[in-house]
Amino acid sequence: MTWALVLRSLFRHPIRTALVILGIAVAGALLLDMVMLSGGMERSFSRMLLSRGFQIRLSPKGTLPFDTEATIPGITPLLDDLHRDPDIAAAGPVVATSLHARVRDSLVTFVGYGIDPGGQGLYQVQSGTDLARGDTTGLLISDPVAQRTRWAIGDSVVLLGRLDPQSVRAGAERRLVIRGLVRWLYDARGQRSLGANFRVFQQLGRFPGLDVASMVMVKVKDDAAVDRVAGRIGATHPSIEVNSVATLVRQFRTRMVYFQQLSLILATISLVVGVLLVGTILTISVSERAGEFAVLRAIGLRRRRIVGLVMTEGAVLTVVGTGLGTGLGFVTARFLDRILTSFPGLPGAISFFVPAPDTTASAAIVILAAGIGAAAYPAYLAARAPIAQTLRADAE
Amino acid sequence: MPNRPVILARDVVKSYPVNGQTVTALRGVSLSFGSGEYLAITGPSGSGKSTLLQLLGGLDLPTAGHLELMGTPIERLSDGQLADLRLRQVGFIFQRFHLMPVLSARENVELPLAEAGVRPAERTARAMELLEYVGLASRSGHRATQLSGGEMQRVAIARALANRPALILADEPTGELDARTGAQILDLFDRLHADGTTLVVVTHDDHLAERAARRVHLLDGLIDRDEVARR
Repeated sequence: MTWALVLRSLFRHPIRTALVILGIAVAGALLLDMVMLSGGMERSFSRMLLSRGFQIRLSPKGTLPFDTEATIPGITPLLDDLHRDPDIAAAGPVVATSLHARVRDSLVTFVGYGIDPGGQGLYQVQSGTDLARGDTTGLLISDPVAQRTRWAIGDSVVLLGRLDPQSVRAGAERRLVIRGLVRWLYDARGQRSLGANFRVFQQLGRFPGLDVASMVMVKVKDDAAVDRVAGRIGATHPSIEVNSVATLVRQFRTRMVYFQQLSLILATISLVVGVLLVGTILTISVSERAGEFAVLRAIGLRRRRIVGLVMTEGAVLTVVGTGLGTGLGFVTARFLDRILTSFPGLPGAISFFVPAPDTTASAAIVILAAGIGAAAYPAYLAARAPIAQTLRADAE
Repeated sequence: MPNRPVILARDVVKSYPVNGQTVTALRGVSLSFGSGEYLAITGPSGSGKSTLLQLLGGLDLPTAGHLELMGTPIERLSDGQLADLRLRQVGFIFQRFHLMPVLSARENVELPLAEAGVRPAERTARAMELLEYVGLASRSGHRATQLSGGEMQRVAIARALANRPALILADEPTGELDARTGAQILDLFDRLHADGTTLVVVTHDDHLAERAARRVHLLDGLIDRDEVARR
C-alpha cells in the first residue's frame, strides 16, 4: 500500500518527476566524477610507478626522476653496492638522452632510454623480443616510433647522437637492430622513445666517457622493507635523492592538492544541488497534497507513517536519480579523462578519473543519504500539519 | 435512551486564531449520545458544527472542557493514541469525499485496514465486502478520479466502515451531490443506522436532518435545541 501510494504519487506529475530525477542524476554524476577526480590521479600515479614492482627511485640530489637533465655520477660503484644488498632483488639504471635518425628526407628526434634489460622497470614488451643481457646491438622501439618511421622488428637502423644543431652533424652514430616493440610506461601519449643497452646509449648520447645515469630503479624483495632499504641507501649515498613510491605519491599529492580542493568544492556543490532539488520538489509536492495528508491522518495514519511516505518518495527519487547518475558519471568521466589526458607532456598511463569500488560506493551512499535527508523537512511539514485546520483550509 | 455513551462532551470550548484574532467556535457545548444513535447536527454557517464534529472525532482537541470518546478522555491521549483511536473507533465521511486520487476504490477502502495491520488477503476480502455493501463492487478497480460524486461518497462510506468503528462522523455528506444521488446516500445512512452503526451527521440538508433520530441545533457555538424525533 505504501509503495502504491508513493509510486503513483510520484507519477502524478511524470514530467516534473522525470526532471527531478534527471537533476539528481546530473548532480550525482558530478559528485561521482569529482570523487573519482579527487583521488584518481594519485591512484593512477601510484599504479603507474608500481606497475613493474620497483618501489624505490634514485635520482640526482634535489630532483625527482626525469625532472631535470642532471645525472647521478659514479653509477658503476653505486650499482655494485645495490647489487650486494641482500634486501634488493633488482636495480636498473636508466640514462635518458636525445637521439636522432634520418628517415627518408627528414631528421626525426627521439627520446633514448639506456636501460639494463636485467633490471628494468620502464617498459613492457608488446611484440618481438626483449633485449638480452649484454646485447649491445639490439634496439627497442615504441608504437609512435614505428608509426613515424615505419620501422619494423628485424630492421637495421642508424641512430645519431650528440647532434650539432648548427651544422646538423652527429657527434656519434650507431647501427642497431630492432628486436621488439615496447610500451614505455612513463611516456606521454605519442612520445617517440626507443631503448637500448645502457652503456650503448651512454656513449651515443650526451655522456661519452661519463659513468652517469639519469635514474636508478630499485626493486626490494619484501614490500615491508622498502622504507628501511630506502633509508639505508640514502644514508650510504647522501649525494643522491632516494624516494620510495610512497614518498613520491606523497609529494605528488602535495602538488595536486588544488585538484583535490577543486573537486571537493564541486562535489559539495553537486551535493547541495541534489539536496535542494529533492527538498524543493517534495516541499512543493507536500504543500499541494496537504489536504490528502490531513485526510490520511484523519482516517488514522500515524505521523511516522506520513513521514515514511514522504521519505520513501525522496528515497525513490534519489535511488533512481543516483542509479542514472552513476552511469552518467562514468560516461562523462571517460569523456573528460580523454580531454584532460590529451594535455601535452602527461604520461599516457596517467588518468584523472579513476573509478574505485569504494569511492563509487561512498559517493552513491552520500548522495542517497543526502537525498533521503532532504526529504526530512517536507516529511516533517506533512506530518506536523494540524489536521482540522488543514481540512478547513482545504474545504474553503 | 442511550446506553453506554459513545461520546460525552461537557462544557466544550474551542477557540482558534484567524488572521491574528481569536475566534471562539464553540462556547461550552455539552452533549452525550450512545451506541446505535443517529444524530444530526444542524445550524447556520459559522455556528460551530464542523468544529464540533472534528472534536468528536479527535481531529482536534478542545481549548477547554471535557470530551470522552468511548469512555476515553481524548485530551489525555498522545498524538499516536489519538491516531489509533481515529483508526479503530471512528470513521470519517467528508463533504468532498477526500479519497486518495492515485488509489483505486478497493485500495482506498483497504487503506485504514492496512494501517491497522490487517493481512493483504483479509483486507482485500473486507474491502470487497464493503464495496458490495455500498453497491460498488463492480467498480472496485477504478481510480477515485474515474468515479462520479455519488460513487466517490459511497467509497468514502465503505472506507469509514473498514475497521468496524464505534462511530461514523459525516460532515455535509450530501453537500457536493445532486438531489437524487444525495437521496441514495441518505438511504445508505438509513441502512447503516438500521444495522446498528452510530452516526453523527453535520448537515444543512433538512431531508437528511429529518431522517436522524435526534437533532442538535447549534447557534453561535452553543446548543440551541436538542430534539428527539417522534416516529
